Amino acid sequence: MGERRTGLHALVGAYVLDAVEDGDRAKFERHLLTCEQCRDDVRGMREAALRLAAAAAITPRPELRQSTLQAATVIRQLPPAVAGERTPALRGGRWLAVRGRVRPWLAGVAACLAVVLAVAAVVLGVHAGAMQQRLTAQEQHDRTMTVVLGAHDAVVLTAAVKTGGNATVVMSHRARALVFTASGLARLPDVMAYELWLTGPAGVTPAGMLPPGRHGMSGPMVVGGLTRGEQLELTVEPATGSRQPTSAPIARLVLGD
Amino acid sequence: MLAWAGEQAGLRTGDEYGNVDIVAGSPADGARRPGRANPSGSDELQAALSAVARGDEAAFAVVYDRAASAVLGTVRRILRDPAQSEEVMQEVLLEVWRTAARFDPAAGSAGAWITMLAHRRAVDRVRSEQRAAQRESRSAVAAEVGYDEVAEAVEASLDRERVRRCLDSLTELQRESVTLAYYGGYSYREVAQLLGVAVGTVKTRMRDGLIRLRDCLGVD
Repeated sequence: MGERRTGLHALVGAYVLDAVEDGDRAKFERHLLTCEQCRDDVRGMREAALRLAAAAAITPRPELRQSTLQAATVIRQLPPAVAGERTPALRGGRWLAVRGRVRPWLAGVAACLAVVLAVAAVVLGVHAGAMQQRLTAQEQHDRTMTVVLGAHDAVVLTAAVKTGGNATVVMSHRARALVFTASGLARLPDVMAYELWLTGPAGVTPAGMLPPGRHGMSGPMVVGGLTRGEQLELTVEPATGSRQPTSAPIARLVLGD
Repeated sequence: MLAWAGEQAGLRTGDEYGNVDIVAGSPADGARRPGRANPSGSDELQAALSAVARGDEAAFAVVYDRAASAVLGTVRRILRDPAQSEEVMQEVLLEVWRTAARFDPAAGSAGAWITMLAHRRAVDRVRSEQRAAQRESRSAVAAEVGYDEVAEAVEASLDRERVRRCLDSLTELQRESVTLAYYGGYSYREVAQLLGVAVGTVKTRMRDGLIRLRDCLGVD
């Protein structure tokens, strides 16, 4: 089918502009494996696309820098690809093809953030905390966290916190549990603290006080016993905790299902 | 018509020598040639990226400083929502940190790789999240220019002026096909519908437009 080949080749621009749908993307990436001219075209067009990106640049708020750099310190990096599987021109494409499934970005983020949270647990709970006793008391907590972060159905949700910072949840519906973490939360006076809530058909139940942040990271907190249709909310409360929220939520994550 | 980057971002020619480091060298580089990627600049980003692959946190700060604004700008174009865009920007940078060892210089520049990750992630997010309903309102928004971005701290650059001129050198259909896809996050089928032309036409306009843009910008 000569027409098919021509059709694929014509797709190069749309491919570089991410204007193809998943099926076409995969087809084109297979085509790239055998088409050196196409790989050259892609490379040149990507440089042009880079200029389009640069022309749209917006300076991020300064505080995002610190939280991003900080988050990186607890993320384990991927090793280089093994030499045997080298297909230079396609490395990026293949890497992305893996993400291009049903929930493409979630899969990538899930993997990424699972690592963030796992390592954060170590850094915050063991290393920085250095409190053996507390750690022992947290065994159940840690076990649940391991289950959630390792769950095949783990999904990642993120939300901006109204008063500053970002909240991230990794959740496993099967384990009916989630792991909550936040970065860049505003520092509170000593008498106040962040508290998590589960809200749903059954009403509002406290889901735990967030320990004071370290190095811009708060949590991880494990919340178990989730039921359908619940939302996770974050409020600012007196440091002793409240039975019911006494202020408006500053972040809300719809847990779905 | 969809305004392209410079207009929409409120181009300020006064500080056009402001710098988008993902493409060109640092302001200290004296030998910048208009319209060409400064070799030392992109080499520097690439060097930083390979240091990142070895776990160098200071190098990651360099990558962030050079790439974050282009990443945020690209993502924001597509997602529109400022808070969501910031989240995605951070996710993209963390993805860069995590997968730096998989970057292959033979496949293109470090800047092209990073902005590809950003663009694709923004597009993936838009497609998975918002289908029909929101799309309608998005196309209405996309048709407006200016929104609140003028109030943002925008980095003007030599590159931006160059990009504007090169986009102007495309045919209208090429330009609209390229900008609706790149800045609007639309698929070629959607672009075809928006412009009322055949799908095959849009595909070739995207290809021809990018080739022309590439040649005009003197890249590769």
